Order: sequence, then structure tokens, then C-alpha cells
Amino acid sequence: MPDETNKVDGPARMERSQLRMRLMRRMQDGDRDACRVLLDDIGPSVTRFLRTRIADPNALEDVYQEVFMALYEARHTYEPGRPFEPWLFAIARNVAADHARRHFARAKWEQLTAEPPELSHCDPPSAPPDLADALEQLPPAQREAFSLLKLDGMSLEVAAARTGISVGALKVRAHRAYRALKKILGGND
Amino acid sequence: MTDAQEISHEERHRALVERLAANLKPVRPLWRVRARLGLWLLLQVAVLGWVASHTPNDFMRKLESARYLLEVVLFAGTAILAAVIALRSAIPGRPVRIGELGGILVLLLAGSGLVMTQPVRTAYPLSEFVSVGLGCAMWTCLLAAAPWFALWWAVKRGAPMRAWAAGLAVGAAAALFSFAWMRIRCPNDERLHLLIWHLLPVLLIAALSALAGTLWLRFRPRATGPG
Repeated sequence: MPDETNKVDGPARMERSQLRMRLMRRMQDGDRDACRVLLDDIGPSVTRFLRTRIADPNALEDVYQEVFMALYEARHTYEPGRPFEPWLFAIARNVAADHARRHFARAKWEQLTAEPPELSHCDPPSAPPDLADALEQLPPAQREAFSLLKLDGMSLEVAAARTGISVGALKVRAHRAYRALKKILGGND
Repeated sequence: MTDAQEISHEERHRALVERLAANLKPVRPLWRVRARLGLWLLLQVAVLGWVASHTPNDFMRKLESARYLLEVVLFAGTAILAAVIALRSAIPGRPVRIGELGGILVLLLAGSGLVMTQPVRTAYPLSEFVSVGLGCAMWTCLLAAAPWFALWWAVKRGAPMRAWAAGLAVGAAAALFSFAWMRIRCPNDERLHLLIWHLLPVLLIAALSALAGTLWLRFRPRATGPG
């Protein structure tokens, strides 16, 4: 799925954002064509957003659908005239966080029920975890900051706008993520 | 994603979009936070009107004291800020600003500081302390009840992303206003009475509201979708 969201320049992005705002307003009025155009337009952005949080493609597909359902049901909460993207990504972030909570709870339960008691005394694997595993261990906010800045290559300003926080707060999160990753991956200072 | 998954994703996306579009109905956007806050404040004015006309407390004379007036204003101001946060918490992408949290903290500390400067009565029979106090605690809860339900309903109509925080803000807004109105209703200005029978119920209401928010306020889209 191509995503040109981060490749377009400032004015084009602004224009696209304005278009989405208008489409969303028409969707609130019950315009089905606007609904189709808007959902098609945001699809790649949502996919890209979710990829930074969910590694499993099957889970990603489920969460993608959940995001669209949530967006649809919360459409009355969009305030006409306000930027569309913060609203969209707040919903997507919430759905992804819900998924992460369910995923970790299920994984913990499966670990508890599947692991024979004697196995718990085994030595942990000595190989260091790869980046994906290490990212999974980070708090969602830090993982998001790292992914947007280092994996997606976004600028601080764009990533801050995407996450809905200030540039300073994003820097702090990213710094904490670097430190945590270094510790998890066994890097030296 | 692989090519096979890519095709599958496109097909699923198309099916989902068509299903959503086919079932699309017009919706009325939520009123602006300012408008909803205004309506809620009208309810508070009604509560204040009732309290002012049903109190044995000579609050008009007390209002001449700047400290007493400031105490009421500080708690009412904190409540308004909490209500703004509660209403905004129901709109995705409208995060709480640090300045608002700081404002609440400063106002709350200032108000509590004023309560702490009230005199302590030493010759106070325990039975009287409890019986009078229980009545005040009950009234604090009663005065908070209708505004709490109204604000809860307003928040529930939206899509709160952090349910516990939304619940906490709803409870704090209703209870802090109730505290302010109880300062007008109750003639007792004794420090321990205010702390235990006025302020403690406020904290309890806010905590219970946060718990209720966790359980019942969270926005969850239906799994089956429309239609």
C-alpha cells in the first residue's frame, strides 16, 4: 500500500487536510460518496500509523477495521472546522492501545497456562532481542515517538503534530525510548 | 504485507467502506464545548439559586469578607476548569493541556489553603460533630448529583478516549461546585468540619466517578458495525 502522506510538501498537505475536513463534514451530513472518498483517502495513512505499533499483519488487519468502525461511530464528535488528522489519529491510537492491552493480557495468560512449572527455572535465551521485540517492550508513547522519528523518518514538527503533543514533549519521549532500547539491546553508553 | 495479503487487504477495505457507506446516516455534530459548558453552568446557577434561598447561613454578610468570597470563587473556578476538561475529554484529539492541569492544581491548593486557615474549635462534642457533619456530607452529595448526571451524560454522548480521566473530571467538576455551594449553605466555618464533612466527600465523589468512568464511560465501537 503506497503512502505518500509524508512525501507531500507543506501546501499540498494543507490542501489535503482541508479536503479531508470538507469530506468529513459531508460525511456527517450523510453524504455516501464523501464517505467513500474520505475512507479511501485515509486508508494508507491509517495503515502506516498502525504499522508502527503492530507487527503482526493479521492483527494489523483487524485493528485497521476496528479503527474504521470507531471513526464511523464517533463521526458526530468531529468538530467541523477543526483539523481532521488529530481527531483521526487519536481514535486510531486509542484502538491500537486497546488492541495492545488485549494482546498483552492474552499473551500473559497463555504464558501462565502453557508454561510447565519446571520450564520457569530454565535459563533465559542468551541471544539479544531484535529491534521489533525490543520495541514491543517499550511503553506505547515511547514506541510511537521512536517509530515516527527513526523508522518513518518524520521531522520533529510533523511527528509532534501527528501525536498531538509538543515538540519538546516528543523529544523527551524519544530520548527515553533511545535509553530504554539501549538497555534492552545491551548497548554500551 | 505480502502481495497476497495486499490483495486481501484491498478487498476487505473495499467491502468495509461499502458497508459503512451503505449504512451511513446523517449525524448532528456535538455542540461546541463552550455551548455545552454554558448550559451546564446554567444548571449550576439554578442549584445556587435554590441553595441561596434555602439556607440558614447569613452568607450575604459573610460575602463581605474577601477571604470567604475568594474561597467560594476558587472552588467554583476549579470546578469550571474540571468541567471544561471533562467535556473536551469526550472529543478525540483534544488532549488536556498542561496549563489546565496546573491551573486546577493551583486553584485547588489555594482554596484548600484558605480552608486550612479557618479556626479549629476545641470544645466541640463529638456527637454534634458527627451528626451535623453527616448532614453536610449528605448535602454535598445531593447538590453534586444532578450536575454530575448532566455532565456524565454530556461526556457519554461523545467518545472519551481516557475513560478514567473523563470520569474523574466529571466527578471533580460536580463535587467542587457542590463544595462551593455548601460554603454558602452551611453556617459552620470550622476547619475540621470543612475538611472532613465537606472536602472529603468531594474527594470520594471524584474517586468514585473515576472508577465509574473506567467501567462505563470508555468509548467502544460496536464489533458488528452498522446495519
